[in-house]
Amino acid sequence: MTETVDISVDFAGVRLANPVFTASGTCGYADELADFTNLNQLGGFITKSITAKPRMGNDTPRVVETDSGMLNAIGLANIGLDAFIQEKLPIIAKLTVPVFVNVAGETIDDYVAVVQRLATERAIAGFELNISCPNVAKGGISFGTEPTQVSEITSAVKKAAGEKILMVKLSPCVTDISVIARAAVEAGADALSLINTFTAMVIDIETRKPVLANRTGGLSGPAIKPIAVYLVNKVYNEVAKERGIPILGLGGIRTASDAIEFIIAGASAVAVGTANFVEPNCTIKIVDGLKRYCLSHNVTSIKELIGCLG
Amino acid sequence: MTNELSKPNKGVFDAVVFANKQIRQRFYRVGLEFSGDGAAAFAKAKAGQFAELDLSCIALPPIEGIAEDLRDAAERKILLRRPFSFCDVSSRREKTRVDILYCAVGPATLRMTTLSAGNSVNVIGPLGNGFQMPAGKKMALLVSGGMGAGPLIHLAKTLATDYPDVEVIAFAGAKAKTELPFEKPLDEISQQLGFSLHEFARYGVESEVATDDGSVGYEGLITDCFSKWLGQRSLSAKDTIIYSCGPEEMLARMAKIAEDKRIDCQVSMERRMACGIGVCQSCAVECRVEGSSETIYKLCCEDGPVFDSREIVFKL
Repeated sequence: MTETVDISVDFAGVRLANPVFTASGTCGYADELADFTNLNQLGGFITKSITAKPRMGNDTPRVVETDSGMLNAIGLANIGLDAFIQEKLPIIAKLTVPVFVNVAGETIDDYVAVVQRLATERAIAGFELNISCPNVAKGGISFGTEPTQVSEITSAVKKAAGEKILMVKLSPCVTDISVIARAAVEAGADALSLINTFTAMVIDIETRKPVLANRTGGLSGPAIKPIAVYLVNKVYNEVAKERGIPILGLGGIRTASDAIEFIIAGASAVAVGTANFVEPNCTIKIVDGLKRYCLSHNVTSIKELIGCLG
Repeated sequence: MTNELSKPNKGVFDAVVFANKQIRQRFYRVGLEFSGDGAAAFAKAKAGQFAELDLSCIALPPIEGIAEDLRDAAERKILLRRPFSFCDVSSRREKTRVDILYCAVGPATLRMTTLSAGNSVNVIGPLGNGFQMPAGKKMALLVSGGMGAGPLIHLAKTLATDYPDVEVIAFAGAKAKTELPFEKPLDEISQQLGFSLHEFARYGVESEVATDDGSVGYEGLITDCFSKWLGQRSLSAKDTIIYSCGPEEMLARMAKIAEDKRIDCQVSMERRMACGIGVCQSCAVECRVEGSSETIYKLCCEDGPVFDSREIVFKL
C-alpha cells in the first residue's frame, strides 16, 4: 500500500488509525482473540457488556443459526465490574487502540455505578451504552425504546462519564429510530452506534417449541445488513449530520465493501460483530480492503466518503 | 500484544482434503492434511479436542442424491463454522493428518460429503481441552453413544501408544445396527465381547456393542450394557477411569454409574457453538462449584468439551 491513502477518521474527538471496530460481545475482553488477530491494527475495540454484578446469562441453547444470520440470547453473561477491573483492565491497558467499554444494567443506577468506577481509567477512551439488548428480562432494550427513558439514562451516565466519550447503542426495534437518536444526542451522547440486533424467533417444528431457551433472541449477521445501512443513513440525515455526531455503523458487516456501504450511508466508523465468529481475522482484512478501495477509487482520505450518498 | 499473549498451539489454517469416504449410509470419514504451522499445531491435538470447519463455500450434493427428509435442511444457507472432534491424528514428514468422523444430517454436513481429495478447507483449531490421561490408572473404559465414538477411537490410539500398561475396553451404543458409525460390515460384529469393532481392535482394544432395538449386540442402552458388564467384574474403582462421549441423557446416566461405583469419569459435552474460541458465550455448561450449592456456567468450547462428570449439572 502507498502512504497516499489516509483511512484515519475522527470519532468524537479521538483520532482512529482506521474506522474499523470490533462489536461488543464478539471479541470478549481482548485476550480471547489474541491467538487469531492483532487487535492493535484495528481502529478501536469495544468490550463485551459489563454489568455492576456478574451475570450468569441465560440457559442454553443460547444461539441458533438462520439463513444468512444467527440468533443469540446470551443474556449479558459477564464477569462483573470488580473482576473486569482486576482481570481484564490490565490486558486492555496494553492495547494501543482506543477502547470503549460496553455498559449494561437493570437500573439507571447500575449503569451509573459501572461508568463512575471506570471514568478515571486511562486505558479507556469511552463507553458504549447498551440500551438495546433484547435478551434480558430487566433493563437492556427497555431503556432504549422510549425517548424520555433514553434521555434520562443518557444524561445520568453522561454526568458519570466525566471526560470520556459516551456512545449510545440503539435498537432497531422501534417505530422511529431518529426519535431515539435525537433523545440520546440531546441528553449528551457524543456518538451513536447502530444497530443492535432484531428480536426474532426460530421454532423447532418437531418439538413445536422455540429453539432458544430464552424463546427469542437477537438476529445478527448478513441478513440484517441492508436494514442497518438504511437506518444509519436515516439517523445520519435526520439527526447526526447537522449536530456533528459521529455514527458507528454495524449490522452484518463481513467485508470491506460492506463497511464502505455504511460509511457512504453516513457512518464515521464501523464495527464487525457476527463475522468475527466465522473469521476471527476479518477485521484486519476489512482494514486492508478499505485501503484498496480508496486507492482504486482515487479517494485520498476515507473521510470524503462519510455520508457521501448520492 | 499478539506475541505476548499468543499460544502457538492453535490458529486458523487451510487444510487439504486427502480422503472423504462414505463409511455407510449417512456416516463419513474425512481426512484433512495440514502443512507448516497447521501441521505443528495439529500434531499436538489431543483426543477430545475439536476444530471449527468453515463449510459455507462447499457445494451441496445434487438434490436427487439427498434423502427426502434432509432436503429442507439442505436448502438452508450456512454462516457459522461447525465443530468436529477427531477420530485420528497422525504426523509424518512435517505434515499432520486429522480424521473426522461425521454424519450427514444437516446443511453443513451434507455439504461436507462433496469434499474430495485436493479441496481446501479453512479450519480453526485445535480447540478446547481433551481427555485427561489416566495417570496411575490400570484400566480405562471408553463408553460411546452414536457419533460419540469418534473422539474415543482417537483416545484408544493415544492410550495404546502412550499408556501400554493400561487395559482399555470400548463400549459403543446406538439406536440400531444401521446407526453404528463403524466401517466394518456389521454382520461381522460378534454378539460377544471381543475384538469386534475394527476401529478399536487395531489398537488392541476389545469392544462391546449395544443397540436399543437389539439389531446387533446387547439389546438395550449402552449404559445398561456397561452396568451389567461392571456388575460381573470386581474392578478396583480407584484404578479405573471411564471416558464417555454421546448424547447428554447417556452421559448423565454414565455420571450416575460412575458416582455409584466411585469411579473417575470424564465426559465430552456438546453444545451449540457460534465461535468455538471462548468469545460468544453460546456454549454454556452448568457446573457445580466444589464445596458449595451454587452453580456456574463454564464454556463447552474453552473449559471443555471434556469435563469431570461430577462437575456437570445435566440438562434433562
